[in-house]
Amino acid sequence: TVTEKATGTPLPGASVVVKGTTNGTQTDFDGNYIINANTGDILVFSYVGFKTIELSVNTNVINVSLEDDLNKLDEVVVIGYGSTTVRDATGSVTAVTSEDFNQGNMVTAENLLNGRTAGVTVNTSGAPGSGSTIRIRGGASLSANNSPLIVIDGLPITNDTAGGSRSILASINPNDIESFSILKDASASAIYGSRASNGVIIITTKKGKSSLRVNYDVTTGYNTVADRIDVFSADEFRNQINQRQPLIANELGSANTDWQDEIFETQFSVNHSISASGSLFGAIPARLSVGYNRQPGTLKTSNFERATYSLALNPSLFDEHLRINLNANYSREDNRFAGAGNIGAALRFDPTQPVLDPSNPFGGFFQYIDGNGNRRANAPTNPVANLLQVRNFGNVDRFYGRAEFDYKLHFFPDMRAVVQLGYDKSNGEGTNITDPISINGFNANTGIGDPQQNNNSAFESIRENTQLNAYLVYNKEVGNLGLEITGGYDYQKFVRSDFGTNNLNAFNPTEPDNAEAIDVVLASFFGRANFDIANKYLLTLTYRRDGSSRFTDDFRWGNFPAAAFAWKINEEGFLKDSQTVSNLKLRLGWGITGQQDINAGSLVNAFQSTLGLSSNVAQYVFGVTPIVTALPNYRNPLLKWEETTQYNAGIDFGLFDQRLSGSIDVFRKESKDLLVNSPVADGANFSNSGAQNIGKLSSEGIELTVEGDVVRNDNFNWNLSFNTTFLNREIDQLPLGADINVGGRAGGTGGTIQVWREGENPSSFFVYKQLYDTAGEPIEGAFQDLDGNGIINASDRYIKGNADAFATMGLRSTNTYKNFDFSFTLRASLGNEVYNNVSSANAYYSLLNGNGFPSNVPTTVTTTNFINQNSQIINSDIYVEDGSFLKMDNINLGYTFNELANTEASLRVWTGVQNVFIISDYSGLDPEIPSGNGIDGAIYPRPRTFLLGANLSF
Amino acid sequence: CTDDLDTTPTDDDTTSAEQFLDSPEAYKQLLAGIYANFALPGQTNAVTSSITGIDAGSGVFTRALWYMQELSADAAIWSYENDPGVAGIQRNTWTDSNSFVLGMWSRMAQSVAFANDFLRQTEGVTSSEVPEIASFRAEARFLRSLAYYYFIDLYGKAPFVDENSAVDPTFQPPQAERQQLFDFIESEVQAFMGDLPDAGQNEYGRADKGAAMMLLAKLYLNAEVYLGTPRYDDCVSICNDIIATGAYSLNPVYAHNFTGDNYLSQELIFTFISDATSSQSYGGMTIILNGEVGNLENNSAAIGVGGFGGALRMKAQHSAIINTAASGDRNTIISANRPANVTDIADRTTGYVVEKFTNNTSTGEPSASNLFADTDFPLFRYADVYLMYAEAVERGATIGGASKTQAADYINELRVRANAPQITINDLSLDFILDERVRELFWEGHRRQDLIRFDKYTGGTFNWDWKGNSRTGTAISNNLRVYPIPAQSIGTNPNLKQNQGY
Repeated sequence: TVTEKATGTPLPGASVVVKGTTNGTQTDFDGNYIINANTGDILVFSYVGFKTIELSVNTNVINVSLEDDLNKLDEVVVIGYGSTTVRDATGSVTAVTSEDFNQGNMVTAENLLNGRTAGVTVNTSGAPGSGSTIRIRGGASLSANNSPLIVIDGLPITNDTAGGSRSILASINPNDIESFSILKDASASAIYGSRASNGVIIITTKKGKSSLRVNYDVTTGYNTVADRIDVFSADEFRNQINQRQPLIANELGSANTDWQDEIFETQFSVNHSISASGSLFGAIPARLSVGYNRQPGTLKTSNFERATYSLALNPSLFDEHLRINLNANYSREDNRFAGAGNIGAALRFDPTQPVLDPSNPFGGFFQYIDGNGNRRANAPTNPVANLLQVRNFGNVDRFYGRAEFDYKLHFFPDMRAVVQLGYDKSNGEGTNITDPISINGFNANTGIGDPQQNNNSAFESIRENTQLNAYLVYNKEVGNLGLEITGGYDYQKFVRSDFGTNNLNAFNPTEPDNAEAIDVVLASFFGRANFDIANKYLLTLTYRRDGSSRFTDDFRWGNFPAAAFAWKINEEGFLKDSQTVSNLKLRLGWGITGQQDINAGSLVNAFQSTLGLSSNVAQYVFGVTPIVTALPNYRNPLLKWEETTQYNAGIDFGLFDQRLSGSIDVFRKESKDLLVNSPVADGANFSNSGAQNIGKLSSEGIELTVEGDVVRNDNFNWNLSFNTTFLNREIDQLPLGADINVGGRAGGTGGTIQVWREGENPSSFFVYKQLYDTAGEPIEGAFQDLDGNGIINASDRYIKGNADAFATMGLRSTNTYKNFDFSFTLRASLGNEVYNNVSSANAYYSLLNGNGFPSNVPTTVTTTNFINQNSQIINSDIYVEDGSFLKMDNINLGYTFNELANTEASLRVWTGVQNVFIISDYSGLDPEIPSGNGIDGAIYPRPRTFLLGANLSF
Repeated sequence: CTDDLDTTPTDDDTTSAEQFLDSPEAYKQLLAGIYANFALPGQTNAVTSSITGIDAGSGVFTRALWYMQELSADAAIWSYENDPGVAGIQRNTWTDSNSFVLGMWSRMAQSVAFANDFLRQTEGVTSSEVPEIASFRAEARFLRSLAYYYFIDLYGKAPFVDENSAVDPTFQPPQAERQQLFDFIESEVQAFMGDLPDAGQNEYGRADKGAAMMLLAKLYLNAEVYLGTPRYDDCVSICNDIIATGAYSLNPVYAHNFTGDNYLSQELIFTFISDATSSQSYGGMTIILNGEVGNLENNSAAIGVGGFGGALRMKAQHSAIINTAASGDRNTIISANRPANVTDIADRTTGYVVEKFTNNTSTGEPSASNLFADTDFPLFRYADVYLMYAEAVERGATIGGASKTQAADYINELRVRANAPQITINDLSLDFILDERVRELFWEGHRRQDLIRFDKYTGGTFNWDWKGNSRTGTAISNNLRVYPIPAQSIGTNPNLKQNQGY
């Protein structure tokens, strides 16, 4: 039998010839063949698009699997409203296909490509199923959304998740994903117009195939917490209290508790995915997949479970003139959320106290009580009890799918008409319940179990996204000129509503409230023309006209043009026959894109003149009657799009038949009319700040990608791929040129640690300059008087670094030796600064006395020896640290058994480790801060996971 | 399909004014919003603010006022200086970027804007459509005047907008100085006074003639500071008018002015209400109540809230005035186990704690919340009318038979009520009155204004712990009698000129 190596599908019509003779045959429909040959003859197996194989005859049955010979340059790349090939792409587009995906315990889709692509960063927290901060070329906005547009099979989705969900991609089974296309520059993304400033990630899901294939994939993981924040041990703590806070030494207990050990636990996770593809009724290629994923978090009680069902039907009718792609997905996400605030509480809780105290009236956990069994005022609460006595559930049912009809006109086959209908709806619901006998239920006046004090609430949440788009594609080749023209219309509507109850234990005369966000409607017209001149010069012109309901009539419509030019230098005469240069292409692109995603989920459009009504807890009482108040909202009828102009120049190259390939891109982005929530003159409006189109931001960078086969022979292959990005962002203009304090930090109320300032990076840290004594020790509360006016105040703050890395890098190494495979990925970030808010807010000795109770502090206090803290000390530059890191995200070893039991079945078993190590000088836990803003509060640690998995396919 | 781009709000909490004002009750809700803006951070919850640049709780009017009048003087210390802006206020080192300086300014300007919008929305509305419309409009004008009064007192100037001003993010209001604002308030009060219900006749929580008169009395008492022109006769005259209404009386129990049910007290002329369930904020009352719970005293039950572990203590110079027999029941200081001086701001065991306000009712019943206040903020209290009378007389007012005898009688009424020894006319002096104001009115948001009027705030004649950022206190410059215009506000409005010395 002759089969296709990648899928195991039989290859009908492959040619089998005895070498040097005309004796030959073709395989039948099932890939079988019969040929007369002698032992020692050499058989040549060939098929168009596959590598030819020669084998000598030594047995009666020779099974061969042919490897596809598709040059990487011919790989299809999905772009908006169409596709192209790597060879013919004019914009900065990167395709990541399933064979390039990261391997391991990939819970959410975006982690498949973390570190794989220059210019793309993915930053995920340690909570199971949690969302990621994804940035393409650093984002183009200040306060509007900086996340890329995500398009699943042609349906753009929003980042706005339903209540109860972990993240927008958490409900998608990564095993259903065929490929990602990342549109980085404006010439590629402008077809998505007003939503494309931050780049576009197009996800293409797997489709049905005509031959029967079944694939079963299982991954199990053992999740551990690799590292802890260092706090004083029980004995060290006793010494500290006795020495520094003797007045409260009588509060010390006799236990030795590591509270971080108590709130974290190791957990097994499991991921099953089974898919079957084949021809339904012998005519409709179909694929069905079912997935189940269970990820208990390493923070006690947190849990993520997901079941996914996906069906794809891809029939073709009328002699391939009408292609239909139907795709329906249902997923169910079940979450239990654990309060991440308990991580910080565990750092602080007295290590000399036990976790359990059977005599304690609050559920048998240790809690501070007085002689009457009452909760003591100001006492901290046991973080383990806080976790175990709180149940916050959320579950989400999500349906998404689309129907695509692609019709090649019978009477005019140069023209295709495509209609796509997309739908995405999430229904979330959940409950937040606190155990009545928990300490939270204590009221000094009424005792234990006061229902008024306890949380018992429920919520429901709906997100709905409907899309219709229709376009025509005209394709023609005239002599040397290839022409493709696309034009169409796109309509999309987003509906959102949320319902939440008040405390159900406490009678409340007013009804709970249903929050209906104002619908967001986008309507667009778009067109694109591709010209291919002599297969050497490629020109793409794109135009999109977008209307958004977020703006008033006068500013509603925006125009987004783009142009790109590519020169396939290797097709020129002087290189055409080169044995060395297999590809050389120059790309130039320019385009304008927009950003309209302001105040997502807001109940109002800021351009409209509206009144807001107060919530139940923000009423005002006249007489004895609470009155729901009404007040005008801030309004700005002049609001319009943000606009980003982007320039890109790139070179793609390939050497030695693409054995070494890569690309270099240089880009510059200039955003203007930034939607910034910025100050307005007092009294002129109904707030002292509001959304305005003021400000400019620019970013520029260089991206480099190199991939090569270091070793390539029959038994041993070694492939390395490396990418690096140098990025620099800068604020060019702010409203009135005035600084804006941003970057809220913990420790005191309302403090900020970052600043937006003209000429500076938008994540710049804004700090006081610490003074040191002659021994090099920091002097508490002493700062340099930078403006020399004799007092230390806000005007002595300066900028020390920012949270952006000047360079990020990703490296992937893949080895195969016979049936073994081995791979690892490394990621590095250089020059990013981190503000250690865990230390700044906690590491000072007077905090050992927390409201009269012994409380732990991070041992970083021993490096500063600070006694107290205030709003200047907490903003000392001593807490801004170099956060450069090198991480090994994954390392995997696998072995594949082919032709199991003499069938086409194959089995790959593998083992690996995820989050293997972090090399960094940073004094905190992990310098990669999930929010991306570089402010390190107590983060949910990313688990180190030991993996065992198997993939069976037949 | 492009018509779909014209979306309208679908939430029942958001509406256009035209839709909303179909019903007469809606006008009352709109009016309540202007009041609420003095007591709450916004319309959502206790931690969400309708202004930016300041923490939600700190940006509540009553809290910012209390910090700027009490923390900035000898009255109190806030232990947690990692709250932005606090150190600047209580060490007298504030700058134009101090968050309280900005928060108060923006909050007041927003109150003016809300009142202006109400006047625009109710233009031409008749009493047949909305029976109470005349009073509603007068109350909105009162609240606008009240906001301008605090501009005069705290900053000496304001961005001037009225109902004829544009609502536009690009509009830059002109600057008004003290004289213009003073004249505006004076003429406004005279104009709307007739439309207000008589003293004590409006619903509790809403302004009446008594509140409007009290506002004028305060202006007149401070006129010499504000304008350089004494108006003590006018002050006495209006105090007499308030007394003559007969609507107010001293509460037989001093402490019942400061309980969770203090709305029952006939002594409160105008308050900003708190409600533990329906009107929650980290505004002035929640902060004072929780701040009163000491870190050594375990006095949560007495205050009726959990407390913030010793957030507020009194400075020694203030407690020295109160902690004497002359205070009688008014002395609620707990001094045991504590030094009087705040030697270390972060050390919550130094400086006395105070139990003046409680969240429990006058009968000792707890409120619905262990955190949020039920106690209303007593902005204007009848006892202050007596003290203003006495002070104006002492400063030379003679109108209408104003006499020192009457002044001493009024003060003795306060003292008898507090079970404190009575005084004679010979005890009366300006210094005595200033101290008596402390004994009667401490921690009610008057102290900085009083010290300025007695010329003891700036300069070095009277120093207190941490005045001028010195442990034992040092002289501060005269320009600190007004706060600076916030840098952000000047940035957005070049019509504003910075106060001298900043």
